[in-house]
Amino acid sequence: MIEKEIIDKIKKKFKVEGSIQRERRVIVKTAPDKLVELCKFIKDLGFEHLSSLSVTDWPKRGIYEHTYHAWSYKDKILITIKTEINRDKPEIDSVYLVWGESAQIHEREMHELFGVEYKGNPDLSPLFLEEWHEKPPFRKDFDWREYVRKNFYDKENERERVYFEEV
Amino acid sequence: MTKESPQKKTMKKLIKAIWVLNWFNSCGFAELIPVVASRWDMERFGMIVVGNPRHADVLFIAGYQTLKSIKRAQRIYEQMPEPRVVIALGSCTMTGGMYWDSYNTIKRLEDYLPVTMYIPGCPPRPEAVFEACAKIFKHVEEME
Repeated sequence: MIEKEIIDKIKKKFKVEGSIQRERRVIVKTAPDKLVELCKFIKDLGFEHLSSLSVTDWPKRGIYEHTYHAWSYKDKILITIKTEINRDKPEIDSVYLVWGESAQIHEREMHELFGVEYKGNPDLSPLFLEEWHEKPPFRKDFDWREYVRKNFYDKENERERVYFEEV
Repeated sequence: MTKESPQKKTMKKLIKAIWVLNWFNSCGFAELIPVVASRWDMERFGMIVVGNPRHADVLFIAGYQTLKSIKRAQRIYEQMPEPRVVIALGSCTMTGGMYWDSYNTIKRLEDYLPVTMYIPGCPPRPEAVFEACAKIFKHVEEME
């Protein structure tokens, strides 16, 4: 089974938790400081395509969970790499040097929406939002409804008063 | 026959062939394709879709506009020659629709552009679009 071979290879080199989710799906959990090294290693194993990078906000646990998905054209396997960082001081090493531009644009988006600093990414300028001065909008503690009330609606307006009523 | 005002003369020329520029930001475009296609066929009223705002008489705006795209819509509007008409389609342009509490979409189009007519509906039916056009024709015919 090729999935098991891959996990064994990774486990031999790194101290990670790894398991097979199902056929052709492999998941690896690592510490953030070993991330770039691990990504370089799995790229050499054939995972050339970084298909997605996402961040999940867990405010109660105080962490941002990064999820990287990489696809291997050679073995037709999708690998998931998960790592957790502190959400109050979100900093992580960029994988720009591993996967290049495809990582760059994902990291730029996550920087905008979650405020994560990717050390080593050459361009983290705003991608979708213009003239944004609030906290990053995808953080769970960003109250978008309050923001909308403040910026778009008028409580004195009879037609818009309904937006200020609590349900 | 009473003498026509210069404004009416211009408008009569305009409604013979309405050239439309579509500025669609969301599902509005997919819902308006039937208007162009053969079943409802807007060309029988002389309406054509053009690709350049400098040729257009009517600007169709459908769906929500984000804070970023409304600036581009304003620039498109500024490029259109007079007389120009803005028709807003769908409930998103009126109140924000289902995006009423979204942080990055505008809520009322008339705060940003002079809207001539709203067509309600989510999405508006092709018949509603043609009724709006008929109202423009009627308005021109009743002009002094």
